Amino acid sequence: MKTYILRRLLLMIPMLLGVSLLVFVLVYISPGNYLDVLKAQRDIPAEFIAKKERELGLDRPWYMQYVSWLGRTVRGDFGESWSYRIPVIELLAQRAPATLALSLTSLVFAWAIAVPLGVFAAVYRNSIFDKLSALSAYAALSIPEFFLALLAVIFASQWGGFPTGGLSAIDHDYLSPVGQLWDYVHHLILPTIVLGIGGAAGLMRVMRTNMLDVIQSDYVMTARAKGVPGNVIMFRHVLRNAINPLVTSLGFAFSGLLSGAVLVENVMNYPGLGQLIFQAFMRKDRDVVMAAVIIGSSMLIIGNLIADILLAWVDPRIRYDK
Amino acid sequence: MLSLRPTVLNSLFRGVAITLAALLIPACAPRQKLKREFPPLPKDVDITTKPPGRYGGIYISVDPGGGPNTFNYLVAEDATSMGAISTVLEGLVRRNAMTEEIIPGLAKSWEIGPDNKTYTFHLREGVKWSDGAPFSADDVVFTYACIYDERFPNRHASDYSIDGKPFKVEKIDDLTVRFITPDIYAPFLEMVGGGSILPKHALQKFVDNGTLMKAWNIGTHPREIVSTGMFRIASFKPGERLVYEPNPHYWRADSAGQRLPYLDLSITKFVRDQNASLAAFATGQSDSENVSPADVEWVRRGEKAHNYTVHERGPSTVCNFLWFNQNPEKDKSGKPFVEPYKLKWFQDVRFRQAVSYGINREGIIKGVLFGRGTPLWGPETPANTKWFNPDLQKYPYSPEQARELLKQAGFRWNEAGELFDSAGNRVSFSLNTNQENPIRQHMATVFKENMKDLGIEVKLQLLDFGTFVKKIGESYDYECGMLGLTGGGDPVGGMSVYLSSGRMHEWYPNQKKPATAWEARIDELMMKQLKTLNLAERKKYWFEVQRIMSEQLPFIYLITPNSYEGVKDRWENVEIPKAGGITWNLDEYYLK
Repeated sequence: MKTYILRRLLLMIPMLLGVSLLVFVLVYISPGNYLDVLKAQRDIPAEFIAKKERELGLDRPWYMQYVSWLGRTVRGDFGESWSYRIPVIELLAQRAPATLALSLTSLVFAWAIAVPLGVFAAVYRNSIFDKLSALSAYAALSIPEFFLALLAVIFASQWGGFPTGGLSAIDHDYLSPVGQLWDYVHHLILPTIVLGIGGAAGLMRVMRTNMLDVIQSDYVMTARAKGVPGNVIMFRHVLRNAINPLVTSLGFAFSGLLSGAVLVENVMNYPGLGQLIFQAFMRKDRDVVMAAVIIGSSMLIIGNLIADILLAWVDPRIRYDK
Repeated sequence: MLSLRPTVLNSLFRGVAITLAALLIPACAPRQKLKREFPPLPKDVDITTKPPGRYGGIYISVDPGGGPNTFNYLVAEDATSMGAISTVLEGLVRRNAMTEEIIPGLAKSWEIGPDNKTYTFHLREGVKWSDGAPFSADDVVFTYACIYDERFPNRHASDYSIDGKPFKVEKIDDLTVRFITPDIYAPFLEMVGGGSILPKHALQKFVDNGTLMKAWNIGTHPREIVSTGMFRIASFKPGERLVYEPNPHYWRADSAGQRLPYLDLSITKFVRDQNASLAAFATGQSDSENVSPADVEWVRRGEKAHNYTVHERGPSTVCNFLWFNQNPEKDKSGKPFVEPYKLKWFQDVRFRQAVSYGINREGIIKGVLFGRGTPLWGPETPANTKWFNPDLQKYPYSPEQARELLKQAGFRWNEAGELFDSAGNRVSFSLNTNQENPIRQHMATVFKENMKDLGIEVKLQLLDFGTFVKKIGESYDYECGMLGLTGGGDPVGGMSVYLSSGRMHEWYPNQKKPATAWEARIDELMMKQLKTLNLAERKKYWFEVQRIMSEQLPFIYLITPNSYEGVKDRWENVEIPKAGGITWNLDEYYLK
């Protein structure tokens, strides 16, 4: 197992190199650069722009820029944001907790509704409940996230019970500690539902299928024949076996923790990483974009690895060592 | 399947909403009382002319720019950051936005030496930074030492120099500073006097260790960002909001001896989108908002329900224009930037005037701005009352006159009404503009139709902002461009546009020497207006530049949208100037 993990981790290196090179080139060849906004202002002198260009290294050919970026990054220095003038890591760290909170709540939300619904749909297979849940699951899967987010914003502005966006209320600083906590919760509810509902629908269908698979297996039949009560069969034997494959999806969920909410954050004005990265991308704040991409792809690769390890852990039939 | 979706969602939402309604009651827990300190007023306190008001109130605004990127005066490049910085860091003088007069700021008075190059400022006695440290001439000298420091490249350094020579800034005594400019510099008071003054006691350590550019960033604790303005920063949450609280040492008060501002708090909420910002105002969640002409109608419908009024401010300072590329040079491969036969049309003033006559500006205003706009004939919009020249050559919509001019210039039409030049080339060009601005896109479409009536074929090319900037500023491979610039202010802001050597002299930038006699004349006038402190004379020169621009039409001016500002009715002392932000006197606002 150890050699397997080591091999996978070593494979990360060429993969990250490839991804970073690709993104760097894409940022470079897309029209314009960070200084465009300055160039369009009439009271900024040309010498200042030229000076900035040298300072940021934008006057050099792209491969030179890439090499110097790579050299820095390998030493663990993700550089400095050009527009904020603070280290990229500090900037990302400032926004990461909000995104992490949202990703985790939506993950919990998705699991909390998907598992029971999937189980019931399987237990009462072909009932009206099963059909309804299938219908709503397909609907949830087919509605794009940003559209759901828009619906949520409209809902909030019409209904008035929820904030139309953001992370905390305008008078947040002047609330009691309990009030502050509730304020955060209040603001998290809608984005959590929007972000979680698609995942919940998918998980629920998987859960249902797994349950059905297990229900039809020989040992369940044997248990029934031996007269084990239905509840015990369902919850002690079937559920435990059916949930195994879902555990591996936790690994994948890890990869989306920081980068899975870009659309929702932007539509719902949620001040997380996704919003920051989108903005940095539009502004061509290169080092922020690059750091976000590197972190995002590392988490994807590690997430995959975790999924594979979890799979081996929950299912003794799978072995990675020869 | 889709039709079922809302019901499912609704019932889900309803369930959640009801559960939460019960849970949310603790959120309305009692607020912490806002405490305010009142240290004694400074000796040279500035007393407002307005009758005394009373304390209290929270002013809420929404900023669609997403909030400041930095609080560092030398780093800030965008309007939102600059706005936040100028709120906390005052200048030596201020501007009365209503009268456009320069009024005392941190300096109570100043005099200009007989050589017109020496400015002596007398600072207010007893003024303190928000942390209680005294404000003095050392801070002023320190500020300019930072700006001119080679280690900290910033945009102000070249603004505050003439031909690369910096101003001399000397401390005479603790409350007197003297500036000496290397040459006469007309906008000195407005440009330099209004510039922020940095706190020496707070920033000296960053200068010493060379990290000034990293100081006062968005991670800095708000208490470290000291203030001379009406507010200091109470808290800042990136991407969320900026909360200002009154600066306990602010140097303005009312005649009853109450220190300004009256407000308890001023909160700016950040959103990422103009629509979100407008929606917040229209539903009563913010105190003021800039309303675009297309939105005025529906926003006004909420006036009664949410107690606000949408005020008309008249023409805005946004100048929309189009121009033809008159650059006769060639690119590196020897290919001319503009087809030589087309360049001939573009350089012919009769062609440009004909195009101007052919544009139905009233039609654009009616069709695109719902009648809420004003036609433009020159570089200044009427909003800039001080510098606007109303007496310019005008080109009211007249296809007949356009045809007449085209005929004189040797153009002719075929049976189908298509226009050809004397050499038999079909008159056709492509118009480039950036795609981010919907109003400009609509204007381009109307322009295309107007030109079609003259037999001219216009191809629209919408580019993204970066590509467009590159085309007009670096590669020059385009024929016609359309742009909107926010103008206003002193003509010195237009040096890079009107000087033939300028970077933004769009029709033919960076000329070695002026290509035409009228460009040479503009160069001369622009230099002259810069080298005199006599306002009447400066006006005369700048008015002539406007006149030449309207006759020669290197820029064909289109329209300016009118500007509207929605403000809640609950505030006293709201004064809405023709141009610029409406909260310039926020320190005098109080609840009715």
